[in-house]
Amino acid sequence: MANRAVPQSKGRPGAKGVPPDLRLDVTSDPANLATVRHACEAFCIGCGLGEAAAGDVGLVVNEAMANITRHAYAGATDKPVSVRGHCDARTGDVTITLRDWGSGFNPESVRPKQDPSQPGGLGMVCIRCLVDDSVYSPQPDGMLLTLTKRKRAGLK
Amino acid sequence: MLKTTTPLVPSARKDGDAVIVAARGEIDLNNSPELRSELFLILSRHAPKRLVLNLAEVPYMDSSAVAVLVETLQKLRKLGGRVYLTNLQPRVQGLIEIARLGTIFVIAKDEAEALAKK
Repeated sequence: MANRAVPQSKGRPGAKGVPPDLRLDVTSDPANLATVRHACEAFCIGCGLGEAAAGDVGLVVNEAMANITRHAYAGATDKPVSVRGHCDARTGDVTITLRDWGSGFNPESVRPKQDPSQPGGLGMVCIRCLVDDSVYSPQPDGMLLTLTKRKRAGLK
Repeated sequence: MLKTTTPLVPSARKDGDAVIVAARGEIDLNNSPELRSELFLILSRHAPKRLVLNLAEVPYMDSSAVAVLVETLQKLRKLGGRVYLTNLQPRVQGLIEIARLGTIFVIAKDEAEALAKK
């Protein structure tokens, strides 16, 4: 438990009908994956996404955070990761950002998984397939990943 | 019943040339190394021709868990064996489809169907 941070969720109040912004500050310990994944899924449900769409976001956040631990922080489990969520009051679209202060590794530079009989690479396939937009923005001291899941009428 | 020691793999048993393993819980990078250890231990001790992995109580897995399944398959193939995945829950089924694992694993509705397949 020594380097497992308790997520802090202190979002600012949301506009009418949308939940307050999600704010989670955790360490890069994989023990935090489930907590962050569940929080993001609950946030998406609160924004009006269906369970399947919220589950997609949860998996993508899980994969992105695992990439941060494995690559940006080279396996270190005591480094900071900030997760933020925002729901667009007009469209219901959900934006999740993940910020790290690691090596600046950009997973998009890795070739997508081609052969299902070889392990590895599936995380990036999920990130590319399961949200509408995923943008890696290099920072002077790390990386910012912005994920967008659009709310579509009737989509569950 | 074979000896298993973790909540993640609560049971394993032999049935002819098959070993049937049940997994339980959400599996992500935090506990997929434990799944890997358990499955590899079973392979090294029993070298089954068929490994049937019952995922009825696995509501979620991430890519690290899928990588463990693929590694297990590779290892068992070297021994001339096959891996069967049964009782897939919706989220796991979705990930299996994204990973196109249906082309390399035998997917079965349940243990009985897996054991009936050759």
